[in-house]
Amino acid sequence: MAKLSQPDLVIFLLALSVMLISSRISSEFGRRIGLPMVMGELIVGVLLGPTVFGTLFPGIYATIFPFATNSHFALALDGVFSLSVILLLFVAGLELRFSLFLRHGKTAMTTGLGSMVLPFASGFAMAWFFPQWFSAEPDNGTHLLFSLFLGTAMSISALPVIARILLDMKLLKTEIGTVIIASAVFNDVVGWIIFSFILSMVNKGHDGGSIQQTMLSIGGFALFMLIAGRFLINRTLPWIQTKLSWPGGVLAFSLSLCLLCASFTEYIRIHAILGAFIAGLAIGDSVYFREQAREIIHQFVTSFFAPLFFVSIGLKVNFIEHFDPAIVLLILLLAFAGKVIGAGVGARIGGMTASKSLAIGFGLNARGAMEMILGSLAYEAGLISHTVFVAIIVMALVTSITSAPLMRMFLDK
Amino acid sequence: MRCPEHAASTGNSTFEQRLKGRPPYPLETIGVAVAFSPRLEALLCEAQRLSVLFSARLLLIHVGRRTAEKEATLSEKCRLAGIAPEVQPVWQEGSIISSLLAVCKTNMVDLLVLGALQRENVFRYYLGSVARGLSRKAKCSLLLLTEPATTGSTFNEIVVNCVEHPKTIPTLNTVLYFSNMTGSKCIHIVKEVDESGLAMAMSDDVTTSEKSSFREQLRHEAEEALRQKMSSCPDQKIQVKPAVLFGRPGYAIRRYAEECHADLLVINSPDSRYGLMDRIFNHDMEYILENLPCNMMIVHSRHTSI
Repeated sequence: MAKLSQPDLVIFLLALSVMLISSRISSEFGRRIGLPMVMGELIVGVLLGPTVFGTLFPGIYATIFPFATNSHFALALDGVFSLSVILLLFVAGLELRFSLFLRHGKTAMTTGLGSMVLPFASGFAMAWFFPQWFSAEPDNGTHLLFSLFLGTAMSISALPVIARILLDMKLLKTEIGTVIIASAVFNDVVGWIIFSFILSMVNKGHDGGSIQQTMLSIGGFALFMLIAGRFLINRTLPWIQTKLSWPGGVLAFSLSLCLLCASFTEYIRIHAILGAFIAGLAIGDSVYFREQAREIIHQFVTSFFAPLFFVSIGLKVNFIEHFDPAIVLLILLLAFAGKVIGAGVGARIGGMTASKSLAIGFGLNARGAMEMILGSLAYEAGLISHTVFVAIIVMALVTSITSAPLMRMFLDK
Repeated sequence: MRCPEHAASTGNSTFEQRLKGRPPYPLETIGVAVAFSPRLEALLCEAQRLSVLFSARLLLIHVGRRTAEKEATLSEKCRLAGIAPEVQPVWQEGSIISSLLAVCKTNMVDLLVLGALQRENVFRYYLGSVARGLSRKAKCSLLLLTEPATTGSTFNEIVVNCVEHPKTIPTLNTVLYFSNMTGSKCIHIVKEVDESGLAMAMSDDVTTSEKSSFREQLRHEAEEALRQKMSSCPDQKIQVKPAVLFGRPGYAIRRYAEECHADLLVINSPDSRYGLMDRIFNHDMEYILENLPCNMMIVHSRHTSI
């Protein structure tokens, strides 16, 4: 078995600890001035990565993060980042309850559809008809997939960021709050399934395979897990929680199920994230899954894996070199217009007043960590360029920061 | 005593007009869905007892073929249950749910009594039970009895779900009326607080004190909402216990009803039809119907939605 040599291991552990310590300091500082945790982690990545540290101190940067010169280090870190994104998607699935969408009736249905369809259609159309605006090649084999990606990137929402904004504004349990949460659940479930389809088509592009086959695999797996899987989980969890040691038993069960599903979906050439996400949905929806177990998994992932992943985003590209104001502006415009108009019109059709509908639109506009994960995976898969990746990350930050003040502005009217 | 009317005897719109605005109580007509099961006699005894308690007209409804054998059995069971011979059963053929709904509408039934299984098997669960079909469409309240007894069920401990909805005040008033007439001892008025959004919102950058402060804020809001609801109900001699539950709506109240050994769980009628998706991703009433903790009443507030 190949092993990391002693110097490789030293550098690897040093890199991890630098990322963890600096992101924690930055997040705690950010928290005190009201910024989301993910923002602090991203800033640390930008500071530690090629943008700042790599430019100012290239020697030290190459010693701590020897991606280019040490393949063992790069491989080990890639393994940690892959595990991080799988667990982040698992946690995202744990948070979502599709029943939230079902129980809020017509308004949630129209808002959820509006906030999905218009952003998706506008993002897709823009990338399809004007690929040159995003520095993409129109006759490239990934043109369709890039268009689908941009549509998905415009339609996804960041549920944890939105929930936090609503809680701070004391709106979480109000009509507006429940409609926003229910619609965001719909956006995320549909968005991640479409994105898994896109990633699997990227894989299939290399190995061959039809669209129908991919769709069947995704649909079949999701249905199996959400019907038969949930049924089995509901029968297994009470036994695990009463007969096995707490919380070891339930943690081992949930995490191994997540990794098992991730490995299965990767094996059938759908991306591992779908397996993890659906496993999270299936476990998180169970009434037998205790809140304490959810919190422990959350803490474990958000304190260790999430900082590593979000710091790694900053390590990937030079944010100054690849910052294209035109593309950033275009993506911001698409994101704001698609989401606010789509969700706003949906909410209006669902019976909300004009100002409340706009507030809902701005509420759903927060993209946060979910958008960053989406952008990062698309970048890794070679679907988007450096400049689009940077623009997506900037858009995720801007939409998350502006969501609360814009919502407040329309609610005060 | 007025003779029961059959479903097709008068235009539907006339009955809709008559039902519109009619409050969920007093219970003037009580219907009972007759099924030829081993529990028939017990169910008839329960219905007879309720009709006496509420001075209500009793209506027996059977959906199925009318045969001499069935008539004889029903007549015998009615005699054993003490139901007067003048009470004529309504025999109807066709779909169980639509036939029951039609008879209830034409006869202005205020409460339909049904026998219900405490726990459904997988097949019945996914196909949907009669209770599910009736709960949304019925223009009257439903009483699902899990263990009907020939001696009559007691309703000492009643748990009522106090959700934020215009239907809740009529439901609370109906419960107070019901408890007064049946001699209940205690009403638990329960407000459920869904923790899902809370867990999401506090998933990362929250300190322990912030977390408990958010929870306290939600508890305080729920208690305030309960106080407001209770203040709009008339003063009662009966003991009323307010309770705030953190957990999954539907499931939390089901567990509470089990723990306090409730005799009756009361909820509002649902706003929308519950379909297969609701059973796959179950929520609210589905958690209760899949495993009834006790008898259950679904109150249809006809003047808030018809």
